[in-house]
Amino acid sequence: MKHASPISLKVNGDDYELSIPAWRTLLEVLREDLNLTGTKRSCQEGQCGACTVLLDGRPVYSCLFLAVEAQGKEILTIEGLARSAGALDPIQKAFVEKGAVQCGFCTPGLVMATKSFLAENPNPSEEEVRRAMVGHLCRCTGYFQIIEAILAAARERAGKGAQA
Amino acid sequence: MGNFRRLPRFDYLAPQTIDEACAVLAERPGDARLFAGGTDLLLQMRRREIAPRAIIGLKGVASLSFIRRQNGGVAIGAMTPFSAIESSPLIGEKHDFLCETAAGIGSPELRSVATVGGNLSGALPCADFPAPLITLGAVVRLRSARGERSLALEDFFRGFAETAAAPDEILIEIELPSRPACSAGAYLKFHDRHAMDMTTTGVAAFVTWDAEKRLVADVRIALSVSGPIPLRAKKAEAALRGRQVTGEALEEAALLACQEAKPRTSWRASKEFREELISVLTKRALRRAGEKAQAAAERGNA
Repeated sequence: MKHASPISLKVNGDDYELSIPAWRTLLEVLREDLNLTGTKRSCQEGQCGACTVLLDGRPVYSCLFLAVEAQGKEILTIEGLARSAGALDPIQKAFVEKGAVQCGFCTPGLVMATKSFLAENPNPSEEEVRRAMVGHLCRCTGYFQIIEAILAAARERAGKGAQA
Repeated sequence: MGNFRRLPRFDYLAPQTIDEACAVLAERPGDARLFAGGTDLLLQMRRREIAPRAIIGLKGVASLSFIRRQNGGVAIGAMTPFSAIESSPLIGEKHDFLCETAAGIGSPELRSVATVGGNLSGALPCADFPAPLITLGAVVRLRSARGERSLALEDFFRGFAETAAAPDEILIEIELPSRPACSAGAYLKFHDRHAMDMTTTGVAAFVTWDAEKRLVADVRIALSVSGPIPLRAKKAEAALRGRQVTGEALEEAALLACQEAKPRTSWRASKEFREELISVLTKRALRRAGEKAQAAAERGNA
């Protein structure tokens, strides 16, 4: 059984050359090897959404994805979001302004899922927002402020001519 | 965090083509596990329910991911994720209820990774995709280093997590025959939560309407989570053929579907509750598919 093999990952625009075994998940590698701890580890069963990152723009649970299979893809984590906008992303701003963050543990996953969702559906209804966020658990807010924040981010985004 | 939440160790093999995948699988029969989206397998591995010595990752086999027109019908590559199925204009045009079924599975995060081939090959009774595909007369193509063969999807399932695929065979493609004129399908399922839940019981129906005689020309009914494998309710189908979709005809079909089903009691639901669900969902699915097929007939078919 071969242990570590060389792999290349592109995370938030940066290239990383790593030597890791195939049985490590993308979540483990992001947090433990790249120190990108904004992506949260929680249920590890694909139920809670805290570990959501984007692969080529699509949301995935990084606890259910092997790091070795993320090679050749653009990986975007919460750390890459704020940096690429120079300041907070409008989605992050909306979460802050609407009080959608309490303990904050579910927030990175929800923000990443929202990023992907609004890129595909810039003008969603509340029902569509609820459907899109079914894969995320929040134990503090009761979801109302989160849904409000996502709708506010959509309006903000639309107002600015849908910049990325 | 403890090691118990880590994955057990395995060799990882990454073929790039179907032929390579077949060759790799043939070299390690019984000891390597095909790995599609992995959303089910990684959970089973983490829980130590399975610990394959090697996994053959299929995500790099680009030729297994496609949706295309074929012989008047549709062919779907086994590695096509549900997110691609739910948004496919081609599948939406031919079988909109398949898009709805795909969109009702898990969450967007799971659907961008989980594949149709994995859903079928896992052969778990709670899978949603087999029943609707069976009502469409889907055929699966299996490939090995020895060659290729086709099999009706309804003959593919053999038991809990057991399929007709030989240890060296890979499910590569699902073929849907061309849709008859004035036909439509529906898949209805019951589950406790609005989303992110396993299906308690589901019923798929596909109705072909005879516009001239104004009755059911043909019908197929398939049941999810109503036995160890997805089942066709053939007696219920026979009872409806050549009839109008009246309340009486639906009651008769629902009763027969219940008799043909083999639901069991689990922590999720009792056998009796599942039988009640099969009856109710069979009637609703037939009514909806029937109405859609008649509407298609009135539009001058589509």
